[in-house]
Amino acid sequence: MLIFFTHILTHVSGTGDLMIRKRLISALNNEHLQKAVERKDMLIAMIMLALLILVALASPVLSPYDPNAIDLDNKNGNLTSAHLLGTDYLGRDMLSRILCGATTSLSISAGVVTLSLIVGISLGCIAGYYGGFVDEVISRAIDLFLAFPSIIFALAMMGALGPSILNLMLSLAMVHWASYARLMRGQVLSVKEQEYVLSTRLLGASDRRIMRKHIIPNSIAPIIVLATIDLGHVILSVAALSFLGLGLPMDIPEWGAMLSAGKGFMRTAPLQTIFPGLAITLVVVIFSILGDGMRDILDPHEQGDDLY
Amino acid sequence: MSSLLKVRNLNKEFNGARVLHDVSFNIEQGETLGLFGRSGSGKTTVGRCVIGLENTDGGEIVFNGNPIIANGKKPASGSNGKVPGIQMIFQHPETSLNPRMKGMDSILEPLQIHNMCTNCQMQDKAKELADMVGLGMEHLCRYPSQLSGGEIQRIVLARILSIGPQLIVADEPTSMLDVSVQAQVLRLMKRIQEEKEISYLLISHDIEVLQQVCDRIAFLEEGRIVRVEET
Amino acid sequence: MLEVKDLFVEFPTRNGSVKAVDGVSFSIKEGESFGIIGETGSGKSVIGLAILRLLPPTARIRGTILFEGRDVYTMNSREMREMRGRFVSLMPQNPATSLNPVLKNSIQVSEVFEQHGIKRAEGLKKAKDIMSKLLLTDPGRVCDQYPYQLSGGMKQRLLASISLSMHPQLMIADEPTKGLDNESREKTVELFDKIRSEYGSSMLIITHDLDFARDVCDRVAVMYSGRMVEINKAGTIVTSPSHPYAKGLVQALPRNGLVPMDGQSPGRINLPDGCLFYQRCKSRKDVCKKQVPVMKIFEGGRVSCHLY
Repeated sequence: MLIFFTHILTHVSGTGDLMIRKRLISALNNEHLQKAVERKDMLIAMIMLALLILVALASPVLSPYDPNAIDLDNKNGNLTSAHLLGTDYLGRDMLSRILCGATTSLSISAGVVTLSLIVGISLGCIAGYYGGFVDEVISRAIDLFLAFPSIIFALAMMGALGPSILNLMLSLAMVHWASYARLMRGQVLSVKEQEYVLSTRLLGASDRRIMRKHIIPNSIAPIIVLATIDLGHVILSVAALSFLGLGLPMDIPEWGAMLSAGKGFMRTAPLQTIFPGLAITLVVVIFSILGDGMRDILDPHEQGDDLY
Repeated sequence: MSSLLKVRNLNKEFNGARVLHDVSFNIEQGETLGLFGRSGSGKTTVGRCVIGLENTDGGEIVFNGNPIIANGKKPASGSNGKVPGIQMIFQHPETSLNPRMKGMDSILEPLQIHNMCTNCQMQDKAKELADMVGLGMEHLCRYPSQLSGGEIQRIVLARILSIGPQLIVADEPTSMLDVSVQAQVLRLMKRIQEEKEISYLLISHDIEVLQQVCDRIAFLEEGRIVRVEET
Repeated sequence: MLEVKDLFVEFPTRNGSVKAVDGVSFSIKEGESFGIIGETGSGKSVIGLAILRLLPPTARIRGTILFEGRDVYTMNSREMREMRGRFVSLMPQNPATSLNPVLKNSIQVSEVFEQHGIKRAEGLKKAKDIMSKLLLTDPGRVCDQYPYQLSGGMKQRLLASISLSMHPQLMIADEPTKGLDNESREKTVELFDKIRSEYGSSMLIITHDLDFARDVCDRVAVMYSGRMVEINKAGTIVTSPSHPYAKGLVQALPRNGLVPMDGQSPGRINLPDGCLFYQRCKSRKDVCKKQVPVMKIFEGGRVSCHLY
């Protein structure tokens, strides 16, 4: 539905936005950014992401109430001017909880994906480039981590380490890094045999330079796409863990936890479950569109100047 | 005067099958030696052994008096920082350059690797190398996907020339190029040879090309050198 | 049998419209073998794709292509599907990547028959018949194998079998000798001779290999930068061409001294006025810069040059 909405927006804006985009494009020097802006869906997704980040950063200021302020007289309240999104079963203001939850969700997923990227790209690159014994060891590790059912693994780790944001990020990263590493290794295996890599080696470049300047940039496009889409998946994983009760400490508002807490009131006061659900959906869709667009942008053959 | 490159009794096996049998030849300074053979004759393998991309199963290769391969094994050195004197041009322009680097960056990279050029000299050096291969600045600012096959091979040449090699192994450098572009690239290689006293090992399946361009031609059949002719 | 009149093909890109084919007219008679010689990027492959309506949807096409008197671009999709493979077929460049690596050879050949309504068993029989006619020894064994088990020459014969399965009236071959060594090229000449003697199909051969064109074609057209500059008998073009560009091509052959032409083909977005070869022509005159030369009849063929 959101994609439908975005498409309506783009059609409605029509020529006016074309002029703005043309000026924006010439102002931006970077050709990747240029291509991103040319695609309407990417542009809207990027704008929404920017808004989302701003909102998350400004949430302490924007929230009308303390998200943890309990007000039992007002519990399960409907939409009023005082509480724009109603209240939950403890009378806490939903709007504030959702805004502050944005910070939590975005920062956790960014953290997890960054960790997974660093570990996954490094190990995948080393395994693919050097081959041999190193590759065997790393590949078996990848197989091991991929074989474990991820939620159970994360649950076990959270149970062992105790609830905190850092432990949550570590557990989820442990579960996610392996898919990045495997994808990276596959890419590296095919890139390292390309003739330009051989020629750089012949010119006397060190392995580090080759990996940094040639192997990684030419292997990384699918990884970036995976990462962008994974941002959405991590939010869902965090939600799932919170739903199962092993997520964050109670005093940090988090969309998944809100979903879980509200499930008992679905018949009487469904809004406290629906709003966090919508928020999660919105963010996952934005990241999905970004991921799709990233793949097209990062493909150098998309230039279009080199036809026939 | 001793030869620039001496190859003696090169042998190579792939999966138990003997691909090269006692291959021996010399290349002198400033000379172009052609290596002619059909597909599967082993000519690319010879090139790769000379350049050090393949291990051998016996034989020796001496370049400039220094053994590159002795007793069939590469001497235990890594890239010791010394500028490598043998370089290679490949057959397929599409994969010869990093698709994400502009022509200029590809050309200047060898200089950066060996710290041979300060930042302010970069632009001038790029222009100098581009002139040498007949390209303009507009070509240097493009990515490989925006360049034709001939232009890519010129950039490859400029890239290699930046560190002044003495021997260039060219493995079918023009077989994927159109006939007019082939003539341009081969003439360019000849001119560079005269200016810089470079030797070439030109590997090709096109005997007419070799007859035009080479000083001598070695004929390779099923891994054996059967004769060497002067042109 | 095939008539192309005033064909223009343009591809819009971010930097302007690339004029791949700029006013091309020619015709192919029944049973004739017609070659188009040109450099990579001269637009020759685009013509082949245009005849089969296989150009990407972004291409803008003007002009008429008549196959057996019927305008190809007014056919509906059912008629087009019938035409492709049955009346006009394409033998693509690069046999290695034109065959599906996961399908057995028998399936790849019989696919064409099934597409046009012939049952698989009968299709297979016809396929084996064609393969043996086209110098594929032991068709039975080849059918049971996969493409990777065949040599380059055999893959080419297989591809030819697929193209010829429905006895098309016109076969379009795109760069059949690209990258091949002399021995393989001779085998390809043999193959094409066999095709002509056994089937009598007309052929449109797109290549930049002058010797191959001389050995296999009756008439040849030379293309430069999207325009045809000379059309004549194959032997005449390769031994004594009239147009300066064609002369330059012939002189660039190794056996004629590898004499290069200065400069490169012009970019195709903003075409200059007058003759497109003006910059590189050694016999140029003032009029060449201003006026596009018209195609005139000259010495048994046609030339487009102000010298004549």
